[in-house]
Amino acid sequence: MTTSLWHQHILPFGLLLGLLAVATLAGDYLLHQLNLVWVGRYLGIPGTILIIISLIYSLRKRKVITAGNPKSLLTFHEFTAWLGSLLVLIHAGIHFNAILPWLATVAMSVNVVSGLVGKLLLDQSRRHVQGEREDLQLRGFSRFEVEQALFWDAVTLDAMTKWRKVHIPIFIVFVMLALGHIISIFLFWGWV
Amino acid sequence: MNNILKTALAVNLIVITVLVFIFPQLMIAPGKLISGHKQLDTDCFACHVPFSGVASERCVTCHKPADIGRLLTTGQPLAKPRTSSPFHQQLNSQDCVACHSDHAGVTRFMQQGRFNHALLQKATSEQCQNCHKPPTDSLHQQIADHCAQCHTQEKWVPTTFNHTQYFSLDGDHNTRCVTCHVRNDYSHYTCYGCHEHSPASIRHEHIEEGISNFDNCVQCHRSGNEHDIRDGDEKRNSEKDDD
Repeated sequence: MTTSLWHQHILPFGLLLGLLAVATLAGDYLLHQLNLVWVGRYLGIPGTILIIISLIYSLRKRKVITAGNPKSLLTFHEFTAWLGSLLVLIHAGIHFNAILPWLATVAMSVNVVSGLVGKLLLDQSRRHVQGEREDLQLRGFSRFEVEQALFWDAVTLDAMTKWRKVHIPIFIVFVMLALGHIISIFLFWGWV
Repeated sequence: MNNILKTALAVNLIVITVLVFIFPQLMIAPGKLISGHKQLDTDCFACHVPFSGVASERCVTCHKPADIGRLLTTGQPLAKPRTSSPFHQQLNSQDCVACHSDHAGVTRFMQQGRFNHALLQKATSEQCQNCHKPPTDSLHQQIADHCAQCHTQEKWVPTTFNHTQYFSLDGDHNTRCVTCHVRNDYSHYTCYGCHEHSPASIRHEHIEEGISNFDNCVQCHRSGNEHDIRDGDEKRNSEKDDD
């Protein structure tokens, strides 16, 4: 794998994911320090609402709705889903209790990673590998030599493509598990 | 999405759903139940009413309010009651979950050691010593009852009372509380409780200075320093003006 692919694409991906982890830990720490742990119990609600709002892009992409600029809606989707995930992670991290909501959290986290792969890595990496291939061909390398030089890039790209494909299935799993958690809360919790 | 993936996801979700119904205490309950309720582990609706939480009416089917703090639900006397006298019988309303939670995950969110005294009937809420052990330090050993003179029911510390604000206990005045506060009444004081001050000597000294109103000593004297006199001149002048 060339170092530029690493620096230009994978590192920013790691940083954005790392930022989510750091923000989660910082949020959890602050709530504990400020004696506001109870707030964490309710962060799941705004987090879920943000994630639901982020789905406007998915509706636009599948032409369920026709209004809105897809590019702007994608940015909106990325932002609201990231922020919603952060709130849900803080909510989940406050304390480990039942298994079902934690399975939902794991599914959501996988979903975030696969979403970030799509946002930061896949398209740019495709362009990067294609550019490298054309450059090597122009410099007179044989087809075999080009494929050999780009072997690890191609493997990485292939893995990312597969990883990207789990975004929707994992999202469905996340929705089902989250629904189970939400229904159980409504069923057993005393809201009044 | 290919069919194998779809099938795998569907099977997983079905398995999880089945597990929720077989092991609700692991899959959806917010932590373990308290040991006394262990037998209710898989029977969520023994306490929960669908869509409205835990109902106190269900608690009192086993925990009779008249027996709480006295008897176990089995009818045997409590070996080690937590308070010297039962107080659940004197609560304003029956709201068990205002103080109690059976799930470990919920208990963590409750502020431990906090009790909302507003839940108690007024007469009971004023009998602090029924639930709280009196402090054993030298100050509190001299005082019985009337905790509310200095302490609120929100917090024990800080107290609401700052003695220096009224009178600094310095020099010769670093003495026992009962010297100035007699009959265990800390809302009043007397300066004639020691050998130094007598009504006759105080009267003599103040009349000599032209001061006739000297009943409330701390209005002018906030410490044992005889030169630290507040409002003394104004008082003397106002008395002269009255004349």
